[in-house]
Amino acid sequence: MKKGLFIIGFAIAPLLAAAQNLITGHITDVRTGEPLIGASVIVKSEKGRGVVSDIDGNFKLQTKVEAPLTLRVEFVGYRALDVDVYDFEEPVEITLRENYNSLSEVVVVGYGTQSRKEFTGSISSINGADVSQRPIQSFDQALAGHAAGVSLAASNGQLNAPSVIRIRGVNSISLSSLPLFVIDGVPVYSDDISTNSAANNPLSDINPSDIESIDILKDAASTAIYGSRAAGGVILVTTKKGRSGRAVTHYNGWVSFTNAVRLPEMLNAEQYTALKNEAITNANNIDGGNRSLVYQLQKNSDGSIVDTDWKDYVYRTGISHNHNIDISGGTENITYYFSVNYSNQQGIFQGNNFERKGIRFNAEDRITNWLTLSLNSNYSSSFNESPDTGSRPGSSMSSYGVTRLALVLPPNVGAYNEDGTFNVNPVSGTLGSGANNSSFPLYNPEARLALTSNTSDNSHFIGNIKFVLRPVKQITWTGQYSLDRINNESTSFASTQLGSGASSSGGSVTNITSRFINEDFNTTLGYDDIFGKLHKISLLVGFDYQHNTTNFWGARATKESDDFFRYYQGGWANVVATGNQIGERNYISYFFRASYTLSDRYFLTTNFRRDGNSALAKNHKYGNFGGLSFGWLISDEPFFKHALSKDAISNLKLNASWGRVGNGNITNDYSSFSLYSSSLYGDASTWDISQQGNDNLSWETSSQTNIGLSFDAFKDRLHVELAYFNNNVDDLILSVPQSPSKGIVGNSILSNVGSMYNRGVEFSLNYQVLNNKEWKWNVSTNFTYLKNEVTALSGDESAIISYTGSGSTNITKIGYSVGSLYGLKTLRVNPENGQRVFLNGAGEEVQYNGLGKWTYLDGRTAKALSGDDYYVLGNALPKWYGGIISNTEWRGFELNFSFSFAGGNKIMNRSKSTITDQIFFNNSTEVLDRWTTPGQDTNIPRLVTGDRYSFGGSVPISEHVENGDFLRLQNITLAYNLPKKVLNNVFIKGVRIYGQIDNAFILTGYSGVDPELSANGNSNTTPGVDYNTGGYGRTFTFGLNLTF
Amino acid sequence: MRRNYLYKYILSGAARSIVILSILTVIGCSDELETTSKTSLSSATVFSTEARIEGLANGLYKSLKTANLYSGYLILYGDLRAEDFVCRTENALTGGYVWSNTFTNTTGDIANTWGQLYAAVNNINTFIDGVSISNVISEAQKNHYLGEAYFLRGLAYYHLVTLYATPYTKDDGASKGIPLRLLAENSSEHNDLERSSVSDVYKQIIQDLDNAERLLPESYETNLLNTTRAHRNTAIALKTRVYLSKGEYTKVVDEAKKIVPQTAAPFSATSGVHSALQEDITTVFGGNYTTTESILSFPMTSSDTPLGVSLSETFYANRIDYVLNSSETGIISDKSWRENDRRRSFVVFNQNIGQNTLAKYKKVSPSVDYVPAIRYSEVLLNYAEASASTGNVALAVQLLQAVRHRSDDTYEFSADDLAAGQIISTIAKEKRIELLGEGLRANDILRKLETFPSKPTLSSMNPISVSPNDDNYIFPIPNSEIQTNSLINK
Repeated sequence: MKKGLFIIGFAIAPLLAAAQNLITGHITDVRTGEPLIGASVIVKSEKGRGVVSDIDGNFKLQTKVEAPLTLRVEFVGYRALDVDVYDFEEPVEITLRENYNSLSEVVVVGYGTQSRKEFTGSISSINGADVSQRPIQSFDQALAGHAAGVSLAASNGQLNAPSVIRIRGVNSISLSSLPLFVIDGVPVYSDDISTNSAANNPLSDINPSDIESIDILKDAASTAIYGSRAAGGVILVTTKKGRSGRAVTHYNGWVSFTNAVRLPEMLNAEQYTALKNEAITNANNIDGGNRSLVYQLQKNSDGSIVDTDWKDYVYRTGISHNHNIDISGGTENITYYFSVNYSNQQGIFQGNNFERKGIRFNAEDRITNWLTLSLNSNYSSSFNESPDTGSRPGSSMSSYGVTRLALVLPPNVGAYNEDGTFNVNPVSGTLGSGANNSSFPLYNPEARLALTSNTSDNSHFIGNIKFVLRPVKQITWTGQYSLDRINNESTSFASTQLGSGASSSGGSVTNITSRFINEDFNTTLGYDDIFGKLHKISLLVGFDYQHNTTNFWGARATKESDDFFRYYQGGWANVVATGNQIGERNYISYFFRASYTLSDRYFLTTNFRRDGNSALAKNHKYGNFGGLSFGWLISDEPFFKHALSKDAISNLKLNASWGRVGNGNITNDYSSFSLYSSSLYGDASTWDISQQGNDNLSWETSSQTNIGLSFDAFKDRLHVELAYFNNNVDDLILSVPQSPSKGIVGNSILSNVGSMYNRGVEFSLNYQVLNNKEWKWNVSTNFTYLKNEVTALSGDESAIISYTGSGSTNITKIGYSVGSLYGLKTLRVNPENGQRVFLNGAGEEVQYNGLGKWTYLDGRTAKALSGDDYYVLGNALPKWYGGIISNTEWRGFELNFSFSFAGGNKIMNRSKSTITDQIFFNNSTEVLDRWTTPGQDTNIPRLVTGDRYSFGGSVPISEHVENGDFLRLQNITLAYNLPKKVLNNVFIKGVRIYGQIDNAFILTGYSGVDPELSANGNSNTTPGVDYNTGGYGRTFTFGLNLTF
Repeated sequence: MRRNYLYKYILSGAARSIVILSILTVIGCSDELETTSKTSLSSATVFSTEARIEGLANGLYKSLKTANLYSGYLILYGDLRAEDFVCRTENALTGGYVWSNTFTNTTGDIANTWGQLYAAVNNINTFIDGVSISNVISEAQKNHYLGEAYFLRGLAYYHLVTLYATPYTKDDGASKGIPLRLLAENSSEHNDLERSSVSDVYKQIIQDLDNAERLLPESYETNLLNTTRAHRNTAIALKTRVYLSKGEYTKVVDEAKKIVPQTAAPFSATSGVHSALQEDITTVFGGNYTTTESILSFPMTSSDTPLGVSLSETFYANRIDYVLNSSETGIISDKSWRENDRRRSFVVFNQNIGQNTLAKYKKVSPSVDYVPAIRYSEVLLNYAEASASTGNVALAVQLLQAVRHRSDDTYEFSADDLAAGQIISTIAKEKRIELLGEGLRANDILRKLETFPSKPTLSSMNPISVSPNDDNYIFPIPNSEIQTNSLINK
């Protein structure tokens, strides 16, 4: 949001009254420490005595009133403050806190700004200060729990993992549910753009410290102006701008320490060896076989046994530091903001690093009183590096995934041999067998760390230039060109040495370079006027053209001539092209917005947009969208004013809106075409069907209703907002499953077939518990309740089954929420024989002996369970979520904390299947409670080697479906601002030191690492699955802010 | 206040250009939404030139070369289900459930193989449609291409019917088979299709192969093409296998005669490609992939390597998921397979793992062993079995000895082995030795309605033996088909 930046005048003539007392003081922003220019100060008991603060935030006020007296300090966009003054000797230090909910505040909406009073849609706003000092890579990671209706969590604990963001629920099935990110009017890329295991969310190229504010548009009436790309909501980011006045320089820096938390406890070497052999003995007892006991303890030459905790080789304390310097200032006509940033961060995984060097320059020039030009530019060079953590979508079952390796590798073998070489299998290069008479197909993480690397490197420019031309007062013409360009280079290397995973191909290196260019040009023509003091009209027409291109090319080289080479530029025998791709996507939009305000109490806004999207089928490229909204400021009605005092209830406002937006964010630029691709058959070139198109592919549409109510109470100390929303999404573009015997590529065709809804309520509350010169305490909370249900798919009976790894973990089915959990239903462990009891599709109880034999409880042979016996096991989407934020200040001390919570959902803990799997995998210590004797009551079945069902090894089972409710202390911060007095004669104007803990603790019944992990990233159809996904660390940060 | 005039000048210049640009853009971008792929051809243009149709024809073979088909897994499945290989590694994903016969209708191997075979079928059906109406190629070319398409469709359906349907021999094909898709599918229509009977599926396969025989060229210009593209004798050779699966021995004899016209060694085809045994079998594996013995093989090059895990990695190097069964049930323990037999060179003891491995496919990084689909020695043994079954034991003996003596020229079969009642099992054993690791074993068990025997294990996979009445005797119809085709179980 923009605050009143231009102050009409700050040289107020000295008051002529015969004054006895002179009060001097200094007014600053509590967060930034910057002086506030133009804040008004009055003595409460003295009518008409007032001054405004000058360019340095100082004021001098003469008064006849004797001490003690009370000053009233007010500033646009900030909370008014009463300050008691006891004597006139010392200058009064006053800090004001921004007020994000006041109706006078300006909010950023599509292609412009509106006052919150006139705004009739649904919006949440977040102060940039909330994200600028957190130990994060990209700003989105700090938003959890801050805004009603917005559910947000990083998908995993790898650095720079993209966040899973849902604004008012999942709004699509096949297309991205991510909101559109718009930074200073530039729509930017927000998906992971890496082509290897180093996650790379390009939002991390935005320096969080540069962010002034974040506005989240949630309903169709607000987002419709962004049309086709706004179905998932819009997150508008405004970066800092300079302010007229003396230049201000800030330094802020922090250092942080991150550790992994909540990792499960695994068996030690002796327990492992005993239990694995027990499982073999059990199998022999069941079928009379004579399998040998293959697991043996390994002894070092000094006689000690090898007992390895593989977590020690995978996890570490990540040490990070971040530095930011910005300079801002300006004259009355030119303002500027300039910043440089350096961030160097280590993740909790060995070898997981992030580095960013960024520079930003924002300027605005009022060339004449009818022409303003502004310019924003940001350049970042960023670097991501990570081993395969098994956390990126599709990598849950990777034999390199270190999250899994840290837990399941046999503890009775070491990472190194006694001679210091890596312990690897001489044939396959996987982990060596030690004394075990078995070979392991998983890799030694220590060897992989040394012998492989994965990097993803961005050169990223975001910039725009904009003119605002105002020939007459009523008419505003704007034009803006913006550019978001990323040049990415992703490389992965694996050595020819045994243990790298690529020794069989003689080592390999893959370089893929990709270029993303997003250009946007838009122009708007606005007309604003007021007729007869009662009728305010605002009209806007505009045009927007977006041009997106992607260009990938790369090569994979294998068989290195010497293990010295780690780069593509070395000596390699075979080179083949890989990762090639060219795409182009254009959007053309015409839009119109009209607002009418009557008597400053009744507000009506309508908007219309015609969108064209090149990715849709011929004749279906254009769609018409729009919305209608109205607002009523009830508290300004005479009857209301009569009935209630302004101090009790004020600013009572009702908003209602309806709108329709489109979603055409198909991943593939040419989805509607049936395509043939070229490849090779031996040496002969071929054409092969590579995509089955659909000539009728068109827009997904989402019809959204929003009804909101907001008011202030108790002299504006309490601010409350309530909203009801109902989003009906129709013509969902689905990959409609085709029977595999049709032989259609991918067994699916994209078609507009499904429908679903998201309905819910949002509630947010802000209460100023204390607000005086010494004490400030503010508490805010927000809560969202949401229900998602699929109402139509391609046929009545059809369902979309989705996979995590090789297991079908989720189902999207009519009458259920998107991506409900799916698997075999388990009931208990039979105390008689230790077999897991399942419920088959016919509703009969059957048990499994671990060796392929299924029986009814009476011993009759039963049919083996298969896909036909799967049940829907629970809703995977949180039904309620929210946050609690508290800020307290006392004499320069600040104590802030923010909680986030969510629940009402189930989580498929597939990681538990991993750590109880009855193959060579090490197990968690809970397996010690296994069934051993008849009559024993336990939930761990008898161990039988090779049993992939009873413990969920190869199929998802309901035993591992758990409640996802949690409360997390996202962040707790203790800060101290040095008093001005101390700094009086130094060149430093402000010093703030702080310490904070991120992810301080979590209260949850979930037994896995973390209830917010998502093994499938942002996938709509496979939420709520934790499958070998790396958890979040707990971070301790110490920071310093200096203002010069 | 000081002003930077240069700065101002630049900004106002920029402003002017934006104004102009804005006017131009609003007017000028009507065609901007008509974007097309720069790396793929659309279905509208792909049949438009002769060269592209040639590329499409090659594409048909390519579609049978996917991971679960002739990149190697299809070969693997044929051997794994029986007793000659033992799973060594903890890797259930590379055919492990097929090996242990514990697959279900959701097992990846089951679903993927089905899907990829039908994808090939649809590619072929689409090609047949496109070629039939093409006016950029001659009638002769058209016939040639159609011949290849029919041949490959016959091959694909043969794999489908033998993997997923009750053996024809059980009830003369009366059982439900698989859906017979003969039309190009390119829309959301026609998801539901009943299974045709096994006998109808075979009828279609034979019709396709008969057509192929009629339309295919007698030979190509190069040995490479003679091995990697279908010619007339390829269709005939496949028919000997198909009729054998039906138990129609006289038909096997009729077909085999066309390419094995002699009644005594040396045997070779005398028309079309002169298919014949090579003097040394090891030539065929690794020496020269394009001899006349390799009637059909799928080529591998460093730029077209196998998708998925290659046969060489599965059996021989790097991974070695499956080793040869060294117990008495494995064929390598057979006493009649003597040490001097050249085929013994395919059994290599790996010191590192202490197991015998199959060394027919040895090339790794890159894995460029051709994957054999039909070899002349199979035709001879098919012919031998059919001859013996139709009373011509003398010819059967000749054919059997031709295969054995090529690799062990001093071996004499005992009179018992060659007796009328016994020779068929002697031929069967010869087939196990000769074609070990070439994917034919499971079919021979199935068509004879024998039991998949039990075998030892070296991993935590627990293999089970399955008899003709057990659920897992054949692959189940994949769950993904059941979910989308409501008529599949009708």
